[in-house]
Amino acid sequence: MKRRLVLWGGAALGILLLVVAPFTFLHQAYLVHIGIVALFYAILASSWSLLAGYAGQFSFGHMAFMAIGAYTTGLIGKFVRLASAPTGTCTEFPLGGWYLVLQNATGPNCLERGMAQMPPGSLIVQPPILVGILAGTLLGGIFGWLIGVLVLRLRRTYLALFTIGFSEILRVAINAEIDITDGPNGLELDPLFPNGLTLFGRYFEPTDKLPPYFVMLGLFVVSMWLMSWLASSRFGLFIRAIREDQEAAAALGVHVVRYKVLVFVVTSMIAAAAGAVQAHYIGVITPNILLILQMSLVISMAVIGGLESLVGAAIGAILLEFALEFLRRSFTIGTLTVDMTTWRLVFFGILLMLTLRFQRNGLIHPLLERITRAEALRETVAKRQAPAEV
Amino acid sequence: MAEIALDVNQISKNFGGLQALRDVTFQVRGPELIGLIGPNGAGKTTLTNILDGVIKPSSGTVYLNGRRIDPLPPYAIARAGLGRTFQVTRAFRRMTVMENLLVPAMAKHPTARRSDLERRAMEVLEFLTIDHLRYEYARALSGGQQKLLELGRLLMLDPDIIILDEPFAGVHPRLMEVIYRYITQVNAQGKAFIIISHDMETIFTLSRRLLVLNFGELIADGDPEVVRRDPAVIQAYLGSDSDEPWQPERRAPTA
Repeated sequence: MKRRLVLWGGAALGILLLVVAPFTFLHQAYLVHIGIVALFYAILASSWSLLAGYAGQFSFGHMAFMAIGAYTTGLIGKFVRLASAPTGTCTEFPLGGWYLVLQNATGPNCLERGMAQMPPGSLIVQPPILVGILAGTLLGGIFGWLIGVLVLRLRRTYLALFTIGFSEILRVAINAEIDITDGPNGLELDPLFPNGLTLFGRYFEPTDKLPPYFVMLGLFVVSMWLMSWLASSRFGLFIRAIREDQEAAAALGVHVVRYKVLVFVVTSMIAAAAGAVQAHYIGVITPNILLILQMSLVISMAVIGGLESLVGAAIGAILLEFALEFLRRSFTIGTLTVDMTTWRLVFFGILLMLTLRFQRNGLIHPLLERITRAEALRETVAKRQAPAEV
Repeated sequence: MAEIALDVNQISKNFGGLQALRDVTFQVRGPELIGLIGPNGAGKTTLTNILDGVIKPSSGTVYLNGRRIDPLPPYAIARAGLGRTFQVTRAFRRMTVMENLLVPAMAKHPTARRSDLERRAMEVLEFLTIDHLRYEYARALSGGQQKLLELGRLLMLDPDIIILDEPFAGVHPRLMEVIYRYITQVNAQGKAFIIISHDMETIFTLSRRLLVLNFGELIADGDPEVVRRDPAVIQAYLGSDSDEPWQPERRAPTA
C-alpha cells in the first residue's frame, strides 16, 4: 500500500514538475527546445529499456523504428493528398466520396497536370498531421512485428548484429532514394500546428515551442503510463521470465513467441510515434538520425539511468540531454582552452564506462529501488531474525 | 477428476547418426510415483525433453489424458498438464521469489485475480519453508532454496504429471527432507511423478515403479524390487553378468 502511494505520488510530482517547467525554470525558448528533445529521448530510452532491459532483446534497431515513424508522416505530407474529384493523372483510390491521391516521385507533377482537368471548385487537401503520425506509428508497429518474427531465434550478439544490419539498410535506402526521401538533404515536414494554435485565448505561432512541448509531454506521459501498466501486468512478468530463461518460461506455460513479438511491436510503435512527432517539431528529418552514434546515445541514456527501469531510463535521458547541452560551454585554464563541444562527449563516454564497470544497474534505478523495495526488504530481514521453527 | 493418463508410444529420436532413443513405450496411469534411471547418456534427459516438447521425436507419439501432445510447443504442453524441472536449476534469477511463482500461475490462469494467485503462492512458499524469502531476488537464494523454488513453480502450474530431473543433486540434507516430503505429499494429493535421479538410495525408497533406460532403450519397467534383480539392469549398471541382485544402499530420509 505504502509502495503504491510512493509510486503514484512520485509519478504525479514528476508530471507536475514537467507541466510547470516551461513556465518557471525552463521559461526561455532555447530551454523549452532542450526540454522537447529531452522528452523525445526519454520516450526512446524508456521504450528501449522495456525491450532490452525487461525483455532482454538487445536491439540496435530502435532508431530505425523511430525513423520509420518520422519518414512515414513526412512522405505522407509530401506525396499524399485528398481530392474531392479524380485527377485522372495520379494514382488514386476512392475513399468515402473523396479520392486518395498518390503523387509521382519523378517526372512532371501529376497533381499539377491533373488540376487543370478537374471540375471547377474541386478541393485538394493535405491529410491532417495527426493522420501522418498515426500512420507512422502503425507502420512502426508492422515493422516491429516483422523484425520481432525474424529475430525470434536470435540471441545476444546475433540479435544485435541483425538489428544493426536492419538499421543500416534503412539508412542506405533512404540515402539512395533521393527522389522519394530527398536523401541526405533531408525530408522537410510541416510543423505540428501548420496554422498555429489558439489556446486559452492566446495565439501560438507554428514555430512557438510551447505547443510541441506539451504534445511531446503528452506522448511521454501516455507511453510511460502504457509501458508501466504493461510492465506491472502479466506481460511484464512474462517478458522478464523470457529474458531470464526462455526455455524455463515456456516449460511453465509462457507463450514465448507471442510475448517476444509483442514487445517488439509495442516498443517499435512508441519509438515510431516519438519519431513522427519529433520530425514535425524539428521540420526536417535526415538519414543521419540512423547513424550508430544516435542509437548509442539512446542506449547510454538507458544504461546510465537504469536499464531495467522505465522511469530510471527516462530520468537518465532527461538529465543527460540537459547535461550535454550545458556542457557545451568551453572554458580556459591558463593558456589551455578546452573545447567542450567535443570534450563533453568524451566525459559522457567515460561516465558510461564507469557506470557499466561499477554500477551496472545504472545511477537512477538503485535510488528508485531503495524507495520502492524498502518495505519488502524490511519484512524479509524481520522474518529472518525471528526465532526459527525447528 | 479424470484419471491421469500418459501414453508414450514407440518414441525414437535420432541426432544425426546417433540414436538417442529407440522405441520407448510406457504408460502412466493415475498418481504413480515412478523413478527413471539409467547410466549417463542413456537418454533420460532426451526423453524428458520430448515429453516436455523442447525437442520433437523422430517417430512415435505421446498422449496426455487422451490428447496428443508431441506436436505441441512446450508452453501448450505445460498448460495441458505436464510440468518439469531441469537438471541444472533454472530459477528466474533477477525476479523475486514471488514473481517466480506468479509466472506459471498467470500463464495457467490468465483471468484470475493477482491477489488470489499471490495468496496461493504464499501457501506454496510456506509449504516449502521459504515464505520469508518471497521478496528476495531468486539470485540471492542458495542452490537448494532455488530447487525448492522450482518445485514451488510447479505447484503453481498445477500439472497432472510432474517430471523432476535430479531433484536431490547437491542439496543439503535438511532441504532434501523438504523435497522428499514435497514429493510424497503432492503425490498423495493425486499428482503423478517421474523422478530422474542418480541418487539410487532415495530413488529405490521413494518410487513404487522403476523405468530403466540404457543406450536409448527401455530395458526394464516394474516394481523396484523386481527391477533390482533384472539381469539386463545388473548388466547395465555393473557391466558384468553377475547373478547378484543389484544392491544400492537403501536409506530413507528422516522426514
